[in-house]
Amino acid sequence: MTRQIPVLTDVHLITCIVQRGRADAVVRTAVEAGAEGATVHYARGTGMRQNLGVLSAAVNAEKEVITVAVSREQLNHVFERMFIAGQLDTPGMGFMYVVAVEKAATHIPPEIIDKLTSHD
Amino acid sequence: MPAAKGWAMSAEIKIRYGDFRRETSVRKVAISYSKLTRLKAKAGGGPSRVRLGPRDLWRILAPYVGVRFKDQLLAVTPLAVYLVLFQILILRQGVEDAWMVAGGLVATIVGLMLFIEGLRVGLMPFGERIGHALPQRSPLSVVLMVAFALGVGVTYAEPAIGALKTAGAIVEFHRAPLLHALLDRWADALVLVVGLGVGLAAVVGMLMFVRGWPIKPIIFAATVPVLALTAWMSGVPQLADVVPLAWDCGGVTTGPVTVPLVLALGIGVASAAGRGESSTAGFGIVTLASLFPVLGVLLLGLAVWLGAPPIAPAEVAHGVPPWWEVSPWAEVVGGLRAVVPLVAFLIVVARQVAKVEIEERVVVAYGILLAVVGMVIFNLGLTYGLTLLGGQSGAAVPGAFAVSPAIHGSPLYPGSLGIAVALAFALMLGFGATLAEPALDALGRTVETLTNGAFRKSGLIYAVAAGVGAGLGLGVVKMVFGVPLAWMLVPGYALALVLTALSTREVASIAWDSAGVTTGPVTVPLVLAMGLGFGHTVGAVEGFGMLAMASVCPILSVLVLGLWVRLRTTRLRPASAGAMA
Repeated sequence: MTRQIPVLTDVHLITCIVQRGRADAVVRTAVEAGAEGATVHYARGTGMRQNLGVLSAAVNAEKEVITVAVSREQLNHVFERMFIAGQLDTPGMGFMYVVAVEKAATHIPPEIIDKLTSHD
Repeated sequence: MPAAKGWAMSAEIKIRYGDFRRETSVRKVAISYSKLTRLKAKAGGGPSRVRLGPRDLWRILAPYVGVRFKDQLLAVTPLAVYLVLFQILILRQGVEDAWMVAGGLVATIVGLMLFIEGLRVGLMPFGERIGHALPQRSPLSVVLMVAFALGVGVTYAEPAIGALKTAGAIVEFHRAPLLHALLDRWADALVLVVGLGVGLAAVVGMLMFVRGWPIKPIIFAATVPVLALTAWMSGVPQLADVVPLAWDCGGVTTGPVTVPLVLALGIGVASAAGRGESSTAGFGIVTLASLFPVLGVLLLGLAVWLGAPPIAPAEVAHGVPPWWEVSPWAEVVGGLRAVVPLVAFLIVVARQVAKVEIEERVVVAYGILLAVVGMVIFNLGLTYGLTLLGGQSGAAVPGAFAVSPAIHGSPLYPGSLGIAVALAFALMLGFGATLAEPALDALGRTVETLTNGAFRKSGLIYAVAAGVGAGLGLGVVKMVFGVPLAWMLVPGYALALVLTALSTREVASIAWDSAGVTTGPVTVPLVLAMGLGFGHTVGAVEGFGMLAMASVCPILSVLVLGLWVRLRTTRLRPASAGAMA
């Protein structure tokens, strides 16, 4: 018997880099906006912080990188909400971008697979 | 869409919800990044200054200040609330100068916040860079000399050391001449001796890092002579007064400046020596930094007694003190004197000896400024807030069981019930103050990782908190019944040594270090002031010794917990031994 692997298409990956300690608020917003979940990992980087002068002491050089996978239809909404929650329009607050994902796979309940595939 | 079938005849407009959202939500402008980089290249390409509006400033600064303020608020407020509530509810006594105390507490919180941030931004980079660069450029003897000088310097910068000086002002000459002389005429020598002790501890600590010396023999080698001297000196009536002061000095040294700076240096040295950051690197220095100053103060007391018998201070000389010795200028001068020499020393060593460039000079300068301002504000807060409140509570609590001039209608509770109330007060104070100590949380997490979860973080925190509570309780007993401190300290430390011999290396180093962690910049002045107020009211000769008891009891409680954990895991092992092997 061959195993069936349900592969998701139309997936986009939002990556958002914020200061250490601020990812939780952004993740919460992303989930409220419809994302299923998020991965956060720690990182360190340079950028706008170097141009801030004394204020750079107030910007944490250690970062949290949030990655969220969303569907094409959710993308813009989640992206905007995360931008606003992360206050990225302020200098030194972070950076975010989206890449298209060729395919993704995870657990999908069988009854949902049936429902989605029987239509076609 | 099954519902749509019935409406097939009518004209229907279908709009995808996603499109709708896209149109109605945030307005977007698409900008080509190539255009942006082209523009920047034309302007010269260098880093551009950023213009920040008030909203941006708020967004950057509010969380930055908020988090740091909250940390200190959480460390100070529970203690103050507990003291005030106890005073009002149990002792039915209002807080005198309530507004001044409140203002002082706010100053303590703000000052600590500024000072610790200044330390992080302005001083720590020096410690780390020097620690990394020094061993590569200089022989071990130079490294040890720098470590020694740093140990002396950080003692002067330690916020709690000022509390010790103010606390001694109440000791009366005719009741404890030697103690009075140490705290009055020899006050500067006292701080110097404590500093020398910390410097020596830093040297031995560096050697431990570089040579990989084991911790247990060093604990024995350091503790036994101190205990012997303590036992002998408390037998001599003229010298006995010095013992509690000496042991309290040990608790004062291991504060928020000493521990991180010396550790930063040590870790740099260890990695340069090729030992890397072994899991227990750094443990042990804290212990030594609290034991050597004890020895130093004991020896100073001995020297003063042998050399120049204390003479009564000339009262006339205390006419009008110069302006720099009057509050608030005394606090300002104290703050400058604490930070500026340390910074100057670090800069000289970094430039001349280690030859490291410090980047981000503006930020470092800002950090140093913060440290100085924070220290001054903290000193002011200490004088008007913590010391005042602690002294009041210390003077009021004995009213529960004895006639106290401060309390109307004292004793409030009959006989032993009153003493029980005072004991409960000390126990709960120690327990609560320790639970709120942020440094303990960090230690707990390290310990949990080190022991693979066998030693729970909460277990350690509760053990230390219970130890400190018991220690303060014993301190109260000492003062109420006039028990000599050595009778409690010597058996306590002797038991600790026996338990240390039985424990594993990790548990031993954790236990001895946890004693140093508990005596932070908030606990120390408060407990010192309270002990002195308490001692004054019950008619004890001096009010020192509470910190000392709060240091030995956590060692015992953590060692016992460690042994119990090991006993439990070895009993469980037979079931899983096969799998483990």
